[in-house]
Amino acid sequence: MANVSTAHAEYQQENHKPEMAISARNINVVYATPTGKIPAVRNVNIDLPKGSITGIIGESGSGKSTLIMAIMNAVTKPGKIESGSVILNSKNDLLKLSSEQQRKIRGKEIGFVFQAAQNSLNPLRRVGQQILDLGRSHDVKDLRGLIKYAKELLARLGLDADRVLASYQHELSGGMRQRVGIMFALVLKANIIFLDESTTALDMLSQAAVLEIIRELQKEKNLTIALVSHDIGVVADLSERIEIFYAGEIVEEGKTSKVLSDPGHPYTKGLIQAIPRISGDIDAAEPLKGSSPDFKTYQQPGCLFYDRCPIRTDACRESRPELESIGKDHKVSCFRVGADDRN
Amino acid sequence: MTTTETAKTVKAFKPNIYQGHSFWRAAWRAITRKVSRVIGFLIIVMFTLMAIVGPYLYPKELPIDPNNIYAPLSWKYPLGTDFEGTSNLALIITGARYVLLAAALGALFTVIFGTVLGLIAGYFIGWSDSVIMRITDFFLTVPSFPLLVVLSTVWNFGHPLAMGFILGITSWGGMARAVRSQTLSLRERGFIEAARGLGLSPFYILFREILPNVSSYIGMNLLTSITGCIYAEVGLFFLGVVPFHVNNWGVMLNMAVFSAGAMSSPDALPYLLSPLLALLLLTLGIVLFLDAVDEIFNPRLREDI
Amino acid sequence: MKDFLIRLVWRIFSGLIMVLAVASLTFFLVRMMPGDPVSAQYNQLIMQGMTPVQAENQVRVMYGFIPDEPLGEQFVHYIWSMLHFDFGQSISYEGIGVSHIILNAAPWTLILVFTGLVASFLIGVLAGVMAAIKRSSPFGTSLTVSGSLLHGIPQFVMGLLLAYLFTTLWPILPFGAPYDSSIDPGFNWPFISSLISHAVLPVVTYALSSYGGWLLTMKSSVITVLGDDFILASEIRGLKSSTRVGYIAHNAILPLFTLFTLSIGFMFGGSVFIENIFDYPGLGNLLVKAIDARDYPLMSGTFLLITIAVIVANIITDFLYSVVDPRIRR
Repeated sequence: MANVSTAHAEYQQENHKPEMAISARNINVVYATPTGKIPAVRNVNIDLPKGSITGIIGESGSGKSTLIMAIMNAVTKPGKIESGSVILNSKNDLLKLSSEQQRKIRGKEIGFVFQAAQNSLNPLRRVGQQILDLGRSHDVKDLRGLIKYAKELLARLGLDADRVLASYQHELSGGMRQRVGIMFALVLKANIIFLDESTTALDMLSQAAVLEIIRELQKEKNLTIALVSHDIGVVADLSERIEIFYAGEIVEEGKTSKVLSDPGHPYTKGLIQAIPRISGDIDAAEPLKGSSPDFKTYQQPGCLFYDRCPIRTDACRESRPELESIGKDHKVSCFRVGADDRN
Repeated sequence: MTTTETAKTVKAFKPNIYQGHSFWRAAWRAITRKVSRVIGFLIIVMFTLMAIVGPYLYPKELPIDPNNIYAPLSWKYPLGTDFEGTSNLALIITGARYVLLAAALGALFTVIFGTVLGLIAGYFIGWSDSVIMRITDFFLTVPSFPLLVVLSTVWNFGHPLAMGFILGITSWGGMARAVRSQTLSLRERGFIEAARGLGLSPFYILFREILPNVSSYIGMNLLTSITGCIYAEVGLFFLGVVPFHVNNWGVMLNMAVFSAGAMSSPDALPYLLSPLLALLLLTLGIVLFLDAVDEIFNPRLREDI
Repeated sequence: MKDFLIRLVWRIFSGLIMVLAVASLTFFLVRMMPGDPVSAQYNQLIMQGMTPVQAENQVRVMYGFIPDEPLGEQFVHYIWSMLHFDFGQSISYEGIGVSHIILNAAPWTLILVFTGLVASFLIGVLAGVMAAIKRSSPFGTSLTVSGSLLHGIPQFVMGLLLAYLFTTLWPILPFGAPYDSSIDPGFNWPFISSLISHAVLPVVTYALSSYGGWLLTMKSSVITVLGDDFILASEIRGLKSSTRVGYIAHNAILPLFTLFTLSIGFMFGGSVFIENIFDYPGLGNLLVKAIDARDYPLMSGTFLLITIAVIVANIITDFLYSVVDPRIRR
């Protein structure tokens, strides 16, 4: 069905694989609970190409935050990374480095903006002091320069830099803290930035402003960004590639434009249909049926989305689908989709 | 290890579902989970039995034996004898009732005063809250043991009820404050607002809706209050500021230290050590058992096995 | 600054109300006492051959009021003399002012309890940090168990056990009295070493019995802080572990700081047992002796001072806390 020239172009592109800033393979994270081990992230492979923005979408509790914590090797108890590798800049496996080497990479090479960036500062120290703490921890010689750069970033983020540096966390508003969190991720000039629901707590207007600044900075400094969100709108707007997460597994991935215009997985379709549009009938927005996955979901041997799937068959209950390519740079894990489009 | 293989070897995982919906069964499980907790539980049961049946095991006036004053340990006197030749073991066993009963009553009064005042202050807020909290501040500020010592000049501690009442009066402050703050946060919750909206009486809301929600806190505090009360009352008797008209471990300690000079004469040593031993054993039992109580009332602390 | 002054004035005012309440409590306690000790004192003085006027003056010196006047007037006179720091005259130490006796006793308590308090605080806090960080290892668990056991043992049991162990079983330390009475008090080495060796057991008793409390509180405070978002953030920002431990310790110790300054207030009355067991001439001992001797003016005065110490410590704590915690600073 595909015409020859596109197939050729596709082939060529395969050979010109962009360099990966982070290449995570086979990540498995389990949570030990009184009721047994829950696999929060299962057999996940994810690549972050250098200089690109990748969106990671999923419901709360889908394991998307756990995944990026696993990439940083910072999963908190009772979670535990059972297996996997995280290759940084095609060189070292982050998970195998000594803890001191890992510490030096955190903050210096990988910046992280938190889900709870509102509370990511030590409440008893001024922002300026904490920047110095960060600089000293990463052996920054020119602390004066560091502060100067921090001021520059804060100003770019639209804050009164001098005031912020002299403030304690409680003296800043939620939006200001969020921006300070972004500044902390960038101030050591890290090339890879993780944004974990970093703008969720903001109101629409400041969210838009912050996202715009992130986009500018990314272009300017050629940053590699992983943008984690439950908000498909935010991700669609910013990212080049997109990963759809459901119950600890990637169910669909590919170029953002392609995934959004031609979603393969029923879950992705559901997510897109659930977005209400400003110009349009509110009833056209259709909520996803069923409830979010819980610990019982993880027990089933078949497809994790089975309970909520509108196109399921009995076979879906028996075994679990794998991520399969259904087109150029577009993978879906669904028996029903693969069957139709391949051949 | 390829993706295909792992996906197939993913084990269907079996949760150990937490069975036993009844409180007592959960409590029993928590106690039997560790040997240390069972030991603590057994020690407490032993002392409770001692308090209940102890006084019936011996004649009302314990026999004296002038030939065996400060006798060493023997089969006849497992813990030796005192200055009159009375068995120390008998003194400990018969003394347990006053000590434990007064402590239990003291804890009960602490919990009752603290809970009722805390609930009222937290629920009605406004002036009743201010008044109750000022009184609470007063009792929290005045050091309670010196206050007990001073009160001993006017109060007759002969009966466990009298002792328990005073112990309760001097130690309800912290409890009231904690219950108040929990009530304050509960009263903003949906189900309480709904109950108010339905026009249920405050009495009903306080005791049927809010009380059950603070009961875990109360349960935890009952046991810690009991230990506090035991130490305070035995301490009062030990200091000798309370007239000795009852048999009590504290009286034994006082006589041993200040009359018998147990510190310098080794003969009287068993007389000093037996009440100390009883207190230490009881302390040990309570410390070990508290661990289980913690878990019973704070399910989040339940450890994974 | 204006807020600060208003708060200060308000706190001092409510502190005074509290003192007044405690003073009234002791007043009515003494008045309600079975056998009316004030009239009994008066009658006894008459029997000793004093004229009614002399006896009345003597009673007034002791209690601050005289038996014949109505209750209300007695109360006013009593509070009035209290406000002049006149706590009356002791009965058992004949002719000596209560204030004088108290001032002589206070330093003993202060040295004894303050040393024990500081020692137990430092050791307990350090052990608490260890117990929290290593809480899943046997070392951490055994620290916690040591804390709960020592916390559980009543002070007088601890005192008696230590006294028995180190003065009778292994007689390496002296028992009773604040110093060897055969040595002349003065600034010389034999006297000072005698002071120290006599203070060891009481101080250690106090330290051991409060160590457990500090350990357990610090442990739970550290565990709470460890769960805070900013600690995870500091880890992911790659802060050095020494810096992170500093963050944790600073945040965890704040609530204990309050408890520590409050304990300084409570320490005046906190050593009744220890002073009694080791016959240390401090305030706690004084209170018990006053009650044994039915010396009511001395009892009231000591109790009042013990309470005032707590009230003052409360006020100071309040204001110090706003200095150490920027969230409360104005």
